[in-house]
Amino acid sequence: MAGPDVGWYLIVSAILFGIGALGVMLRRSPLVVLLSLEIMLNAANLILIAFSRQQGNLDGQIFALAVMAVAAAEVAIGLGLIVAMARRRLALDVDQADALRG
Amino acid sequence: MIAGAWICLLSPLAGAVAITLAGTRISRRTAGWIATLATFVAFAGALVAFFGLRGLNPDDREQMSTAYTWLAVGNFKVDMQILLDTLSSTMMLIVSGVGGLIVWYSMGYMAGDDEERRYFAYMSLFVFSMLLLVQAGNFLLMLVGWGLVGLASYLLIGFWHQRAEAVAAAKKAFVMNAFGDATFALGLVLLVWKTGTLTFSGVFDQVGSLDSTIVNLVALGLLGGAVAKSAQIPLHTWLPDAMEGPTPVSALIHAATMVTAGVYLLVRASPIFEAAPDVQHLAAILGAVTLLVAGLVALVQWDIKRVIAYSTMSQIGYMFLAAGLGAYGYAIFHLMTHAFFKALLFMSAGLVIHHLGGEQDIRRMGGLHRAMPKTHVAFLVGTLALTGIPIFAGFWSKDGIISSALATGGSLGWTLYVAALVGAFLTGAYSFRLYFTVFRGPESDFVAAHAHEGHGEGPRSMLIPVGVLTVLATIGGLVVIPGVWEPFLTWIDETAEPLVSPTVAQDYGTSAIAVTLAVIGYYLAHRAFLAGRQLVARPEIWRVLERKFYFDELYDALFYRPAAALSVNLRTNVEEPVIKRSLDEIGSGTITVGDEVARAQTGLLRTYAVALAFAVFILVVVFVAVR
Repeated sequence: MAGPDVGWYLIVSAILFGIGALGVMLRRSPLVVLLSLEIMLNAANLILIAFSRQQGNLDGQIFALAVMAVAAAEVAIGLGLIVAMARRRLALDVDQADALRG
Repeated sequence: MIAGAWICLLSPLAGAVAITLAGTRISRRTAGWIATLATFVAFAGALVAFFGLRGLNPDDREQMSTAYTWLAVGNFKVDMQILLDTLSSTMMLIVSGVGGLIVWYSMGYMAGDDEERRYFAYMSLFVFSMLLLVQAGNFLLMLVGWGLVGLASYLLIGFWHQRAEAVAAAKKAFVMNAFGDATFALGLVLLVWKTGTLTFSGVFDQVGSLDSTIVNLVALGLLGGAVAKSAQIPLHTWLPDAMEGPTPVSALIHAATMVTAGVYLLVRASPIFEAAPDVQHLAAILGAVTLLVAGLVALVQWDIKRVIAYSTMSQIGYMFLAAGLGAYGYAIFHLMTHAFFKALLFMSAGLVIHHLGGEQDIRRMGGLHRAMPKTHVAFLVGTLALTGIPIFAGFWSKDGIISSALATGGSLGWTLYVAALVGAFLTGAYSFRLYFTVFRGPESDFVAAHAHEGHGEGPRSMLIPVGVLTVLATIGGLVVIPGVWEPFLTWIDETAEPLVSPTVAQDYGTSAIAVTLAVIGYYLAHRAFLAGRQLVARPEIWRVLERKFYFDELYDALFYRPAAALSVNLRTNVEEPVIKRSLDEIGSGTITVGDEVARAQTGLLRTYAVALAFAVFILVVVFVAVR
């Protein structure tokens, strides 16, 4: 089995996931929030593929492909929403979209 | 023959349905004609059934006809069936015949009223219910009719619903009748439990083998129903108040038919009552008490309809007395003659009220025989029949009842005999007091003022039925002449074998005494009238009688006040502090909690994301560290 140990992949993935999570929690631009979500998803994909390689089982890779498909769909919707917001001249700021406040 | 009975039953129902469905598409007059014709068709059906039955062998005169199985529970089933026998065919003739005349009369009486169609629909419903009651082939169906006549009575007493007294009277009648219905139903429940059947023949076959306590309870339950429906003491106070309804309603429901249903029940269920002789005697005693009390109260009433209402109670007391002693033939005979002459009295009173523009107080009447000669004759005939003057209908039937008490003998028989004779005296006194006050003497100012309006005595639709009933009240009693010709009694005896039958000597001897007493009553009333004073001179007795022996006050104190006090108590001590406040607390608590929870809903994406991340973190810690 070539390449680094699976532990390294885990570390990279955790860092990616942390960056993504912080991005979702801290950034205010919807575009960046969406980007950060993608980073988190790809961190999960990385682990799936890494373990799949380690185990010699292709299930994880297939699952990663499925996640990518879902992510693509999600991005399509998310970007659509952002475009709609922009066309309605709404502020592109997630903190101002608080109509659901109780 | 049996088809006639079914037509008799269903034609008034069809009339009621037709009037209801047609609504305002038909004129008021048409509605009246539909109701009248439907009732007369029923009478024709009853005639067909009656003559068909007469043509049969006496052993076959009990025809049961089943339309379908109405309800079935395991082995217990009740059919939609009618029973045609001598008793029910007689009742069918009375109900549909007198009913037809009165519905016809209503067309004149109610003309110009706002809601005539509703009135005639109710009337048809009533006639149907009453026919169902008398034709039912089992106790449950009878109870259905029993409840339906109560409903129709409620609807018709409260017909003028804009009058508060009418509504109150309707409710009172309904509640008291509901009490009777409940005891009746409880009796039936016991019967179902112990005999497993409710058909008349099935019950009567088994009644002998039942425990005597059970039979007594069943009989008491039925008696409770009969007492409430027939306005006997102690459930009588609704009947005088029921006079708030239109006068034809009083004539049909509260004189001729519905209130006599109790007597019909006593006769129909006579095997049960014979198995419980104490209860049967109780019925006779209640009848005797009622006839005395009602006769006394009738002496002092001022409302023309109330006097007749008390007289009705008193006459039904006679019927209860007869049925309680086992003189079933005479009970039904008096029921029939009473239907004639009491409907006649009510309808002539209705003519007077109609003529005087709705006035019912006899103090404002007087000398009406000049303005209303035909009504005067009709009322006089009714009064003579009521007091039991020979050849008029009431003479034959009432004296038969009194002599049955004599024939029973013993302390019970003699007591009832004396009570019934005193009742005959009272009847003479109160009915002639009414007659003199209304029709004799100089014309009162009130009458004179109305006489000039010149609308005659009433429309033809009112006068013809009154005329027919005048004839019936005169000759209707000639179907029983003791010792000579008694076809009516032998006819009824086929269904309910009497326990007692007076000898011819007893009969005529009693008649002599009773007629003498009635004439003494007449004489006293006449003398008091000429002297311009009342029959009851002493003011303290007057007061007791005017308050109707304080029955209303007694029930008020016994039932209404405790119930009202309990309700008020429960409201202040239970409902308001416990139920109402707990609801308030639940509500306000929910609102507070909701406010608190709502603060978590910031609407900010980041809050949710942090909450999610934090929750995942906790879960991870739990799964990894705690396992």
